Amino acid sequence: MSNKDKIKVLYIDDEQNNLVSFKAAFRFDYNVYIANNTDEAIAHLRQHHDISVILSDQKMPDKTGVEFFEEIRKEFPNPVRILITGYADIESVINAINRGHVFRYIKKPWSEDDIRSSIDQAHKFYITTALLAIKNDELQKAYNELDKFAYSATHDMRGPILSVLGIIDLSKNTDDVGEIKSMLDMMENAMLKLDNYIQNLHDYYSIRRGEVEIEEIQFADLSKEVSDIYEVTSKMNNVRFNCAVSQTETFRSDDVSLKIILNNLLSNAFKYQQKDKTDRFVDLNIEVVKGIANITVKDNGIGIQENNINQIFNMFFRATNEEVGSGFGLYNVKDALGKLNGKIHVQSTYGEGTTFIVTIPSK
Amino acid sequence: MSAPLNFIVVDDSKLDCFIAEKIIKNTGRSETVSAFQQATDALVFIKTLPATSTPTVVFVDIQMPVMNGFEFVEAFEALPENIRQGYSIYMLSSSINENDIAKVKGYSSVKQFLNKPLTNNTITIVLEHFT
Repeated sequence: MSNKDKIKVLYIDDEQNNLVSFKAAFRFDYNVYIANNTDEAIAHLRQHHDISVILSDQKMPDKTGVEFFEEIRKEFPNPVRILITGYADIESVINAINRGHVFRYIKKPWSEDDIRSSIDQAHKFYITTALLAIKNDELQKAYNELDKFAYSATHDMRGPILSVLGIIDLSKNTDDVGEIKSMLDMMENAMLKLDNYIQNLHDYYSIRRGEVEIEEIQFADLSKEVSDIYEVTSKMNNVRFNCAVSQTETFRSDDVSLKIILNNLLSNAFKYQQKDKTDRFVDLNIEVVKGIANITVKDNGIGIQENNINQIFNMFFRATNEEVGSGFGLYNVKDALGKLNGKIHVQSTYGEGTTFIVTIPSK
Repeated sequence: MSAPLNFIVVDDSKLDCFIAEKIIKNTGRSETVSAFQQATDALVFIKTLPATSTPTVVFVDIQMPVMNGFEFVEAFEALPENIRQGYSIYMLSSSINENDIAKVKGYSSVKQFLNKPLTNNTITIVLEHFT
């Protein structure tokens, strides 16, 4: 076992002899730090945040071991505490254990086996607690997202349905075929919006729960596939679409995640164009250099206001009223990039355009 | 014959604005109907409107990007009193959110919370208060 992987243990005792013999006995099994007063011990803890087990002698001149543990608990809540004590102090030890400040006590004189098994168990407890804290954080995050999601789902999924119900209610009062036809168009739009939302939702869950499948990626094929979809949009809306790919080395990544990223960035670039501008464009540039794919999506569209830039990757955030958006797209991009260890960077000037720069390492 | 009214509709969905406009016009009570997809535009409109003795009914959607319905109402309530006179605000939402419904009660300028979509029935009941 390398020194780095060893359990880090701090032992505090006012008797130098004990410290020396402790270190001598356990330095091969553990990464041992010793301190002969509480100040020294705290200095060790501040310097080494990954100390997982603290053993302290109960009888020390400046304060008792229990007092020391009480004192450091606030600043260092994570390390597991073990008290070493003689029979004389048994009352205070029982109290300390009952109040939950001490994981275990070892009686003096200690045997090496006792110490070893206590440290190992304490470390296991430390790891479990740490994992639990991480899981708890994740769970809290998931809950928050679920709350947001439930709130938005009622709005974004019910919204189009209610619109259609509203139009149906209206259409009952008219016999004008022209008007009814225009109402049908509106219903179609509302349904397309709903469908788009559900597609995004599907993306969201395939990124969230789906396994990443690493395979060789030919960016030329990938961009062709994605571009074909936007070829039509480009012609219909009179937006120039340039696509350049340069790849001379193999690149390995997850096809589905890459498509989600490209699709969302391109769909945004085409969507948020300036309506009255004549020379409108979207540039897609993909370059693979030294195991890193650099993807740039650039447009001269409406741009993003500076105060909104930090929020655009948040779930359900929408910076504009101009176009129909689900508030899901860029969140999904960020999520997918997280799976691929990629990064995204945005440059935007309001009223002039936006450039998204994505970097993804090959797996 | 009931007195005519001015109407303002604020909804980020173009479609819902259209529906509201239609339904309002069908009542035969509207002197004017103005629809806005941006709450900020509606505020500017209210501020610059010349004083009138005709009451104004405002239908505002709660969930909108940039400025949502609550922010709109807060901004409205911050306007000078002489501007705010004669306005009755109704908040609309498609979400069945208890918090939202409770929140609506906290605004003195808001008359009522209404469920989307706005229908002939709902608007008839609302307009009974304006005789």
